[in-house]
Amino acid sequence: MAEATTTEQPELPATTRPVATVGKATGSVVRAYAPIAVVGVLAALLPLHYGDSRSMMRLIIGGVLFAAYVVGFNVIFGSTGQLFLCVGALAGLGGYASAILSDRSGLPVVLALLVAGGLAAVVGGLLSWIAVSRSLGVIFTGIVTLAFSLAFHNLLLGQRDLTRGETGLVVDAGSDSFLGERVPPYYALLALVLAYLVIHRALQRSRVGWAFRALRDDEIAAELTGVDVKLYRVLAGVLGSAMIGLAGALYAHTEGFISPSTYAFGEVDVRVLVMLAFGGIGSLLGPVIGSAAFTALDEWLASSNEYRLIIYGAVIVVLFLGFPQGVAPSVHALVQRLRRRTSGARRRN
Amino acid sequence: MKAVVLDGLVLGLQFGLLGVGLTLVYGLGGVLNLAHGQLAVLGAMVVALRMDAGSPAVLAVLTGLAAAGAVGLLLDRTLLQAVYRRRGESRVLLGLLLMLGVAFMIEGFLVWRYPIESLRLRIGGDPVDILGVGMRTGSLLASAIAVGTGAALVVFFRLTPLGKAVRSVIQNEEGAQLCGVNPAMVRTLVLALSGVLAALVAITRSMTSPVPVDAGIDLTILALIVAVVGGLGSVSGAFLAGVLLGIVNTVSAHYIGTYVTTIVLLGAAAVTIVLRPSGLLGMGRE
Repeated sequence: MAEATTTEQPELPATTRPVATVGKATGSVVRAYAPIAVVGVLAALLPLHYGDSRSMMRLIIGGVLFAAYVVGFNVIFGSTGQLFLCVGALAGLGGYASAILSDRSGLPVVLALLVAGGLAAVVGGLLSWIAVSRSLGVIFTGIVTLAFSLAFHNLLLGQRDLTRGETGLVVDAGSDSFLGERVPPYYALLALVLAYLVIHRALQRSRVGWAFRALRDDEIAAELTGVDVKLYRVLAGVLGSAMIGLAGALYAHTEGFISPSTYAFGEVDVRVLVMLAFGGIGSLLGPVIGSAAFTALDEWLASSNEYRLIIYGAVIVVLFLGFPQGVAPSVHALVQRLRRRTSGARRRN
Repeated sequence: MKAVVLDGLVLGLQFGLLGVGLTLVYGLGGVLNLAHGQLAVLGAMVVALRMDAGSPAVLAVLTGLAAAGAVGLLLDRTLLQAVYRRRGESRVLLGLLLMLGVAFMIEGFLVWRYPIESLRLRIGGDPVDILGVGMRTGSLLASAIAVGTGAALVVFFRLTPLGKAVRSVIQNEEGAQLCGVNPAMVRTLVLALSGVLAALVAITRSMTSPVPVDAGIDLTILALIVAVVGGLGSVSGAFLAGVLLGIVNTVSAHYIGTYVTTIVLLGAAAVTIVLRPSGLLGMGRE
């Protein structure tokens, strides 16, 4: 990936240059978006197989929700290296805002969803702006966003008038309309994830994607070649947070019930981090692979809830120690290397 | 009011001790030990289990301290070696994520095996009158241990050659190496020390209120807040911040409410990072 920055020529239109993502470098639109279509078709067929089982659909809906979170987090962390430890809080901000706005103020659900996404975007953008303008490193960005997460969680518990605290909030709006039954919510969330993937792919292929890769590889070099590092970081923060907030809000309406633990740090952020690390940080389909793998793992571990935490911890350690690029890309790279053993395809980082 | 402030002081000294362990490890190797609270609970659980098995309290406490220290040492010699091989941001990120994983493993294991265990050391004796406030013996003993340990740490870092070696590595790793200090050895030592300090906090805390098996996350977050406000890498900063935040904590909990208090503490950490990333007594090193 490091070669991309050195050979960058900003004048060329983006489509004529190779797209340095997972997979073969190609400018073809079809080849760029085909993986998303494949994922969409495969995922759309799942209810045919599992639609009868309420518990299976519940599980799958959870997996799709997390895929949406992970894509958003991937845009922030994977593209620009900002460690946002507040995915749950941003989703919760969206979820509670949308639920309260539509249930209490009678705002139409679609409008409430948009407001929720916008709110998350503003807060995420603000956090990102603080991190960038004070040039906080990865550690301080992590601590500030973690502090925001925990403070938000406490706020949810404390503002009982609005949120009903631990008891949780029943979300009526939306359940009687187009989001009524069990299968349609799945398609609503799936459509959201697919839209996110398309946006992410379009970003990767655009000037913005080049800027992201440049500043991730070498921030100073990127700055010197004229990339406005601060602007692109905040942009990633805004966009990713909007994705997370909107997903959290949509889930609130499809599920019909939210509580602080729906969006708690331990429930959301930890899993999002593990899923992205497994699927491959920065890659397009990494979030999908990661969330599918861990949703399956969760189902498999369902009977052994007690030591799920140990397994998650061990997975984090093994993943970051052994596969810094993610398991899926590592396997992919291995296959590539076996296929053509000619050139020494050394992959740093 | 006086009683509240005194309670805050007792709590603050424990906060300080909690922050010191975290701040030292970060200052030395750039590893933000997110398993700090879990190490503390691990030590406390060893004490509780030893005491359940009929071991005398002092012996049990020593075993608990040694166990946490040993885990710290083990972590340094194994997992963290991979972290130290890296440089810059990627070292910081890897260290943070690995210790997060370790935190889950320790907590998961303890909660799985001993779900209802908790440590409560009962210190007998009548309340002692201090400034017209009756203080419990447990609080006084906990504070005395915290002050004593803090003083011992200051003496160690200012006066002994080994302590100076530790400080030299914090200030400038390469320079220290040139002067014949072995950073790897110093790091191992400090990780073990930090484990012992963490366990000591959990044990002294149990003299005033029970420490349940799942207290790790709260302790880690407190340690993080204290270390950040004091300035990552600064021992005296951690103690100063600990005492300040301890008093803020009890005053705010007493007059406003507990949930606001948590937000106040978290806000203190966030504001410190934004306005003065080096903390109260930090050295301007990020």
